[in-house]
Amino acid sequence: MESRECKIGVYICNCGTNIAKVVDCEAVREYISELPQVAIARTYKYMCSNPGQELIIQDIKEQGLDRVVVAACSPRMHERTFRAALQTAGLNPYMFEMANIREQCSWVHDDPQAATEKAKALTQAAVLRVAYHEALEQMMVDMCPNTLVIGAGIAGLTAALELADAGQKVYLLDKQDHLGGNLARVDLTAPYLDSARDLLTERITRVKTSDNIELLLNSRLQELKGYVGNFSATLVSVDSDDPEENKAQKIEVGNVIVCTGYKEFPAERVTHFGYGKLPNVITSFDFEKMLRAGRIECKDGEIPNYVAIIHCVGSRSPEYHGYCSRVCCMTALKYVHEIKSAIPSCYVSDLYIDMHAFGKGHEDFYRRTSEVKTMFLMFGKGDHPIIRSAGPKDDCQMLIEVNEQLSGEVIEIPADLVILMVGMEAREDATETARLVNISQDKDGWFIESHPKLDPVATTTDGIYIAGTCVAPKDIPDTVAQARAAAGRILAKIAKGKIAVDAIYAEINEDACSGCRICNELCPYSAIEFDDEKKRSHVLSVMCKACGACVAACPSGAIKGRHFTDQQMFAQIEGVLR
Amino acid sequence: MSFEPRILGILCNWCSYAGADLAGTSRIHYPPNIRVIRVMCSARVDPTFVVKALVSGADGVLICGCHPGDCHYSEGNYKTMRRIPLLKKVLTDLGVEDDRVRLEWISASEGQRFADIVKDMTERIRALGPSRISAELDVDPREK
Repeated sequence: MESRECKIGVYICNCGTNIAKVVDCEAVREYISELPQVAIARTYKYMCSNPGQELIIQDIKEQGLDRVVVAACSPRMHERTFRAALQTAGLNPYMFEMANIREQCSWVHDDPQAATEKAKALTQAAVLRVAYHEALEQMMVDMCPNTLVIGAGIAGLTAALELADAGQKVYLLDKQDHLGGNLARVDLTAPYLDSARDLLTERITRVKTSDNIELLLNSRLQELKGYVGNFSATLVSVDSDDPEENKAQKIEVGNVIVCTGYKEFPAERVTHFGYGKLPNVITSFDFEKMLRAGRIECKDGEIPNYVAIIHCVGSRSPEYHGYCSRVCCMTALKYVHEIKSAIPSCYVSDLYIDMHAFGKGHEDFYRRTSEVKTMFLMFGKGDHPIIRSAGPKDDCQMLIEVNEQLSGEVIEIPADLVILMVGMEAREDATETARLVNISQDKDGWFIESHPKLDPVATTTDGIYIAGTCVAPKDIPDTVAQARAAAGRILAKIAKGKIAVDAIYAEINEDACSGCRICNELCPYSAIEFDDEKKRSHVLSVMCKACGACVAACPSGAIKGRHFTDQQMFAQIEGVLR
Repeated sequence: MSFEPRILGILCNWCSYAGADLAGTSRIHYPPNIRVIRVMCSARVDPTFVVKALVSGADGVLICGCHPGDCHYSEGNYKTMRRIPLLKKVLTDLGVEDDRVRLEWISASEGQRFADIVKDMTERIRALGPSRISAELDVDPREK
């Protein structure tokens, strides 16, 4: 392949020591600066930092660079950052390519020589590819100001109100017949012992009376089509499977917030606690029901003298869920307070692995709980307390044997009621939801953020946001913060009125098109139209999502995948293998 | 010196490339023999990309997409699922060993799976030895 006449600036990031401790960045720089198209090659500590970006901007202006390569982290991380830097310098943002020498090189290889060779190849591939890049113009499309919020728990209610209060139209959807989600099943909340009902009532009233919120209970999303700013959603009733009688409702929205929440870990999966067999072994949600009814009692109606609370049921376990469910520790302490205030004579034991009191006010809450004479017993991770029915001579229903870690002794404690602190898990319909709105799930079924730290409520699909416990276990303050963040992001986009859509789409060269129509059927978005008069196909660029399926299929080579052209791909393949 | 295979990875942006990135953020190590390029969807993988890679000196080509049913573009991977076996049939007829071209589904959460596949493929190709394609075509890949 011939060398293209261009002036490319190449920037190799050390990423502190993340890259530089394995890859010899200076050697990569020396190698790459030998390439004829490369006008300048530099290494720098942190390319994504302001001075790093400034370096690029300055070189573009002073050296007249027409293309830029940054060898650093994954393009999924910082491609946008650097494209913006190019734009600031007056260069088209698509005249840029990244080489991933961190996630796919320095972090996965330990042989410095092999890693450096690989980094050279990846950077070289980016240089050869960028030489064929073309300036692309982004299209501006209208942003529909309506938002679909899926799930009417505390996250959905909060997000809906935030948008509605700003004067925007919201469709609030829930499969259930009432508002409030999982929080509606809870009595008091930790650590301030506020009533969940109080937290919800005000919100529910405002949602019900808001002119801007259309409530769609007993309903589910059946289909979501379109793209950011211009989605079309089909909603159906959950009650009926008969398509005749179940008339679908179509709505137009610009953005979607998924707040579908969690479900509790099914305690019957853990057989050793006897849930479902021993009548007085109950889950935290069974206990919430009791609290909400206003009476703590055993199965036979007796008031318990001894209550034991067992933490981490289904959580932090290699057998069930490896993660911590985050809210159970404080919920358990909340139970101690609720039991003590209802039955002051009751002995409460709290059997935990580690006490996770990470949040604001939580450590104080833990201290206050230990002051109300609670017996805290620590058991080992991988171990579990053993529950058995008590004998006729015992003054309790059950006996619990704990291999107590702090004393190093095996301790037996009485219990009339055992509360299993069940963790959170992804809902059974999470996979279906993920597919409908085109987002991904992690290994535990939680929805994946665009970036876990820097972009936590956005997803990889533009216009689809996630908030609350459908993303991972979290408490109410974090859930509310995410819901408001998602709403805030959307309001900012609505305020602009228009949105730039990616300039990457397929184009058909009508002169080369034979009119065979193979591509027409291939497109999952019906973005390719056939012109009966000209007997040629053409792409409706706004509809195209740039998957490239038609590009690879065209027998005449008439379809060009912008930014993923054959020339660009071939150059990259050559560069990476050279 | 022992033979170090050169493997081209062509990964879809949404699932497999994210999975490979996750192997990185999780610090799951695998052999440095693979060099990855990114496409938006595995359906963009034109069979000529694979041929181009083999001609350019690749000893193997790994194509990865989202699991069936999980495609970001709803059904792109079904096209890949039909195209790559066809290509492999043609390549096999031309004498290219079956293990040299491989199609796998890797989700955004399967960093470990990506590392395992790369490790396995590197070993298999190491056992096969260098690809003869570029030599037989009398193309020195280093000369372009």
